[in-house]
Amino acid sequence: MEHRYWLINVRLESGYETKDGVVTGTKTEVRHLLMEEGNIAQIVPADRPIEDGLPQIDAGYRLALPSFIEKHCHLDKTLLGGRWRPVTPVKSIFGRLDEEKSFDASRSIAIRDSAANYLEASLRSGATHIRTHVDIFPEVGLSHLEEVQQALHLYKDKLSHEIVAFPQQGLLRSNSEKLVREAVRQGAGYVGGVDPATVDGDVERSLQTMVTIAAEEHAGIDLHLHDPDRLGIFTIKRLAELTVEAGLQGKVAVSHAFSLGDIPAAQAAEMADMLADAGITIITSVPMGRKFPPVRLLHDHGVAVAVGCDNVFDIWSPFGNGDILERAGRLAEISGFANERALGQTLGYITGGVTPLDEAGVQAWPKAGDEANLVLVEASCSAEAVARRSKRAATLYKGVVVAGALDQEQ
Amino acid sequence: MQNDHFWFTHVRLETGYRLENGVVTGTETGIFHMRVEQGNIAQIEPETFVFEDSLPKRDMNGKLMLPSFRDMHIHLDKTYYGGPWKAPSIATNGIFTRFEEERELLPKQLPVARERAGKLIELLLQAGTTRIRSHCNIDPSIGLQNLEATLQAAEDYKGKAGIEIVAFPQHGLLLSQSVSLMREALRNGASLVGGVDPATVDGDIEKSLQTTMELAVEADADIDLHIHDGGHLGLFTFQRLADLTEEAGWQGRVTISHALALADIPQEKAAAFADRLAGLGISIASSVPLGRTIPIPLLHERGVKVWLGDDSITDHWSPFGKGDVLEKAGTLAERFHLVDEVELGQTLGFITGGVTPLNRNGERMWPRVGDEASVVFVDAGCSAEAVARRSERVAVFFKGNLVAGALPAAR
Repeated sequence: MEHRYWLINVRLESGYETKDGVVTGTKTEVRHLLMEEGNIAQIVPADRPIEDGLPQIDAGYRLALPSFIEKHCHLDKTLLGGRWRPVTPVKSIFGRLDEEKSFDASRSIAIRDSAANYLEASLRSGATHIRTHVDIFPEVGLSHLEEVQQALHLYKDKLSHEIVAFPQQGLLRSNSEKLVREAVRQGAGYVGGVDPATVDGDVERSLQTMVTIAAEEHAGIDLHLHDPDRLGIFTIKRLAELTVEAGLQGKVAVSHAFSLGDIPAAQAAEMADMLADAGITIITSVPMGRKFPPVRLLHDHGVAVAVGCDNVFDIWSPFGNGDILERAGRLAEISGFANERALGQTLGYITGGVTPLDEAGVQAWPKAGDEANLVLVEASCSAEAVARRSKRAATLYKGVVVAGALDQEQ
Repeated sequence: MQNDHFWFTHVRLETGYRLENGVVTGTETGIFHMRVEQGNIAQIEPETFVFEDSLPKRDMNGKLMLPSFRDMHIHLDKTYYGGPWKAPSIATNGIFTRFEEERELLPKQLPVARERAGKLIELLLQAGTTRIRSHCNIDPSIGLQNLEATLQAAEDYKGKAGIEIVAFPQHGLLLSQSVSLMREALRNGASLVGGVDPATVDGDIEKSLQTTMELAVEADADIDLHIHDGGHLGLFTFQRLADLTEEAGWQGRVTISHALALADIPQEKAAAFADRLAGLGISIASSVPLGRTIPIPLLHERGVKVWLGDDSITDHWSPFGKGDVLEKAGTLAERFHLVDEVELGQTLGFITGGVTPLNRNGERMWPRVGDEASVVFVDAGCSAEAVARRSERVAVFFKGNLVAGALPAAR
């Protein structure tokens, strides 16, 4: 594709329709976007003739949304494209951990292939950035990391990524400190972890070890924390303290953080202020049948909240399709975000906070100069896209169509 | 092609579970041929069968056959589906805000009601659903006009799906004084008596339930009531409904839709009440709401028939809804962590009227000679995979007629 071209007939949201002060719909306008070196260089009204002879690609009046972010997945676990298998019944998380230790031999598809299938599904869903956890433990060493990096390399011009070195078997429990450190040196930007209490059995030493590695290796942190109620809250508080002590503000995330959904709203608000101060992001997969963090409350207190699909057809779960917009729709459905504004704003949880309209209805995206990462959908507005999980026609990364297709003109 | 007598060839059917060390690890399948005559399965033969007739053959190329699905709670008459997007407003007075909106909205939508109902039926067919129970508003402002539109849509799809219509006094049987309208609806094509929250909407549980039961007995019709009322208010309503069901001898003819109170009360109480429901053959229809789900596996274990439905598909009540009841079954499995081969496969029963190809012990239960040839062919290796992965629906047949999808391409 050309470095400079016009993406013509793009529908953009321009404001809310209101009646008696209540938002009743979304106004849109059609624009032509000049794409230059991967950025949106210029935005002009669609009735202005283009006479510069540059190539044109027709968006067909489809709605443009900022492309999505998949913030929590496991590229090395998915079996997408492999043979069907159900989940083996186990008595506890430790049964699953045992099964996983020696699972690679019975995979029906190589990690790099299923990881690539996942990336393809992500792109089709509209995501152009993913954060993946990759298992690091003695039985597999760095082999999962290498395979995932191979898959990501194939997609280096289609999406950006972050890798979390994830000691699934327990950072302390499986003596994986050295391996995790090694993984970070080999390209993982984040130190992972899982339930410092339940899995590692030593909250303080587990957290200290994570933070030490992250600080020394200039990495971030993304901790899987399923531990519920007071135990989870205790762990989060301690992590927040250590984050501030180590100067890691803005580089730390807690995934799942179920405990934030177990406590009363007043207490959750206090926790939210603490998380905002420590610059800790909360990531949820929007589980069914389990309370999860109060997304809206956290957002209102300034906490960054992101959504991820988590397990997609692997030994932990037979479900999931890697469609991150579907997951945003689920978040809206469970949380009762059902009116035009609330639905539209839900998009922010899968775009790193970027929404075409802000809360007040002022156009916030796209602006000239923005990176040309966008998805064209068969919808009339963000709210419809979220509620209806509208069809994605094409995904663009740095101005290039990386999934779906559009008609080229001229 | 001749539709009333033909062969389905190369059909994949589940034949049993695969066991390793006493644990089910997968499902065994085989390839079969099936003769369909007059909408029913007339003969089932193994792959090696030598054909001696010249009947037309429909080669299913090894696709898995499942019983077609049932969507047991939907509102065909008020959907925006097929029309422009509109988000629901913020309801300032709960359910009553929605009633207020309907007085204006439904007459406005009437000219497109039949067409939109048709588009929604089409969506359900594509998902593999060939049996639909739709509620249809009966209220003083719309009268019987939504019923007429829905009946017309049902007529348009007569050979493609079995559609039954519940006369639904959405604005309150008593509150909106709709008793005579209901009586008229039941004489004009509606086959079940509906209702909504005898306490919160009608304000008189006893009289509301009594009147509902009288209408049902008079019209010899089944009952399907929306009961959202929570906690012990809902439970009390269920109990009175159960009493009246017993008194009227209406066992096996009553459904409670939503039954949200079962999500609020302690498990032991829910279990005890489930036994009563099972005894009276009162079924439950649920849309598996994500935020407040009733204990469906528990009800099922206690012998209560639980059916799933899509409920609202983008209307002024809810912007969500896919119209895919297999997706609902998958949601149910995910919600209750039914993740192994047996549990996943058995989940199918919630959307097929209880029919599953294998039973819990892995014995073949379906299809049998004489069964209706209402089937869906899916791109999956077994029921469990179809539920977990929401596998692609390749072709859908209603009484032997292709109603959605297409015959698979040759391998």
